[in-house]
Amino acid sequence: MNERHGPTDADLLTIAEQVWTSYLDVDGMSPLVPVPAEKPSLDVSASVSMTGAWRGHVVVRCSAAAARNAAAALLGVELDDVTTEDVTDALGELANIIGGNVKSLLPEPCALSLPHVLIHGESGYPHVVEVCRLSGTWREESVTISVLESALVVERTE
Amino acid sequence: MKILIADDSRVMRQIVTRTLRQAGFSGYDVVEAADGRQAFDTIVSEKPNLVLSDWNMPEMTGIEVLKALRANGVQVPFGFVTSEGSEEMRAAANEAGALFLITKPFTADAFRDALDAYLG
Repeated sequence: MNERHGPTDADLLTIAEQVWTSYLDVDGMSPLVPVPAEKPSLDVSASVSMTGAWRGHVVVRCSAAAARNAAAALLGVELDDVTTEDVTDALGELANIIGGNVKSLLPEPCALSLPHVLIHGESGYPHVVEVCRLSGTWREESVTISVLESALVVERTE
Repeated sequence: MKILIADDSRVMRQIVTRTLRQAGFSGYDVVEAADGRQAFDTIVSEKPNLVLSDWNMPEMTGIEVLKALRANGVQVPFGFVTSEGSEEMRAAANEAGALFLITKPFTADAFRDALDAYLG
């Protein structure tokens, strides 16, 4: 009864490594380095939600500096040229890519939402349990990826 | 030769454009669309030679755009570039007439493999 669909911490690391290799660490010089679980930075929070056979959220949280670094890398522009709009677009797309890949590990059918990005604050996710998490540092800045499942469809055994 | 890139993320439209170049495809005019409705309208008016479309977009999804095009007799070569690549989606894309489905994150090699037959 306690069987639970969903990705693992290792799955999240694999997905993140693919994203970093493709877009954020193309030259292999600045990988995302996993670190022991820590309190996520709340500067920027980007998420996508899923409804259907599985319900929950994939959330990318990072420091403001990491978000600016990500936007600069994705857009191929200098850090000084990054705007708030760039950060919102870039982090939303990161959440979308990671969320889409997480979705492939979940039962079908599921629908993926458009991304939601909050700068300097975090959206609330009521009634969820964290299925897995990847905490890391990238260019010495905090990045955390979490998969949150709606507790309303999780059968607890404790 | 004209390529239409449809994605609600400006960042991703730039990455797709950059990856086309890195994959060795150059000399094409790129036209962009920021949602599904804009993609449909721009495809009809601009008549691109190839469409690279996201799946999950506001106004119309990519698969809705493709079905609407075919329902209106527009047979432009159409491929998806999307973060989701489930078997169900691949089957739906194929059934609607899509040529390929590239999943994000992608590499220049993935673009080369998928697009060489149409742009090479």
